[in-house]
Order: sequence, then C-alpha cells, then structure tokens
Amino acid sequence: MKDFGFDGNCDKFPIGMAYVPWQRFDRLYDNLEEGFRNGTIFPELNKPFTGRRCVR
Amino acid sequence: MMNQEGMRMLNDIHIVDFVLVDLALYLDTHPYDQEAMEYFNHYARIKNKMAKDFSMRYFPLTQDLAESGKEWRWGAAPLPWEGAC
Repeated sequence: MKDFGFDGNCDKFPIGMAYVPWQRFDRLYDNLEEGFRNGTIFPELNKPFTGRRCVR
Repeated sequence: MMNQEGMRMLNDIHIVDFVLVDLALYLDTHPYDQEAMEYFNHYARIKNKMAKDFSMRYFPLTQDLAESGKEWRWGAAPLPWEGAC
C-alpha cells in the first residue's frame, strides 16, 4: 500500500483541493479507560467540540 | 449471578475490546505498521484471556466460551436486555 504521507512538497499538489494529513502512529493513552471515555485511544484524535472555534 | 467484581471485569473487557476496535481501524489504513500490530496482538491476547476468565467465573460472553458440563451454560447466561452484560 503506497504511503500517502505528506513530504512537505506543496508544489506537486493541485490547488483548490482538500488534503487530510496522514495519521502517523505516535502513542496511545497511558490510561486506556481515559481513551475509552474519550472515544479514541489516540490522544491526537481527541478533539472535543467546545461549541466555538477549535481552541484547546 | 454477577457481583461487583464481575461488573468491574466486564468493564475492563469493554475497554480492552474498544482498544482493539480502534487499533483495527488504524491498521485498516496502515496495514504495514509494525508497532500498531504489536499493540493489537498484545491487547488481543489480554482480551481473550479476560473473556475466558470471565466466562469461567460468571457466564459465557460468546458461545465458544461456554465450556458447559451439566447444563448448557450459554442458554443459562443472562440476556443482553436483562442488563447483565
């Protein structure tokens, strides 16, 4: 399976398209129950909706 | 039938099962990621052991874990809508 990771070279990508950065395996929650409560085991995917702009 | 300890074991099984679901979703798009696969294998072994232990002590979570002797334990297990599992 080809790796679609972004190598930082913007020129080769056509404009006007949306791109989703490819997930890299970083780490899991140390406390798996915390991941269970957050609905993901990947901390970087835990993006709670705060009812306004995406600020942490 | 099932006490506090059983409820806690079942909750732990749910948590480990969720980890496997999320790892599987990741592996579906990253089928060569060794680290993720090691995590999956690790937690799969843990979950299988926990499910087997739970099934021996309380009631079988899946039919293949029934290990029945005198009575067909799968049939005697509480039904999902009875709030036990």
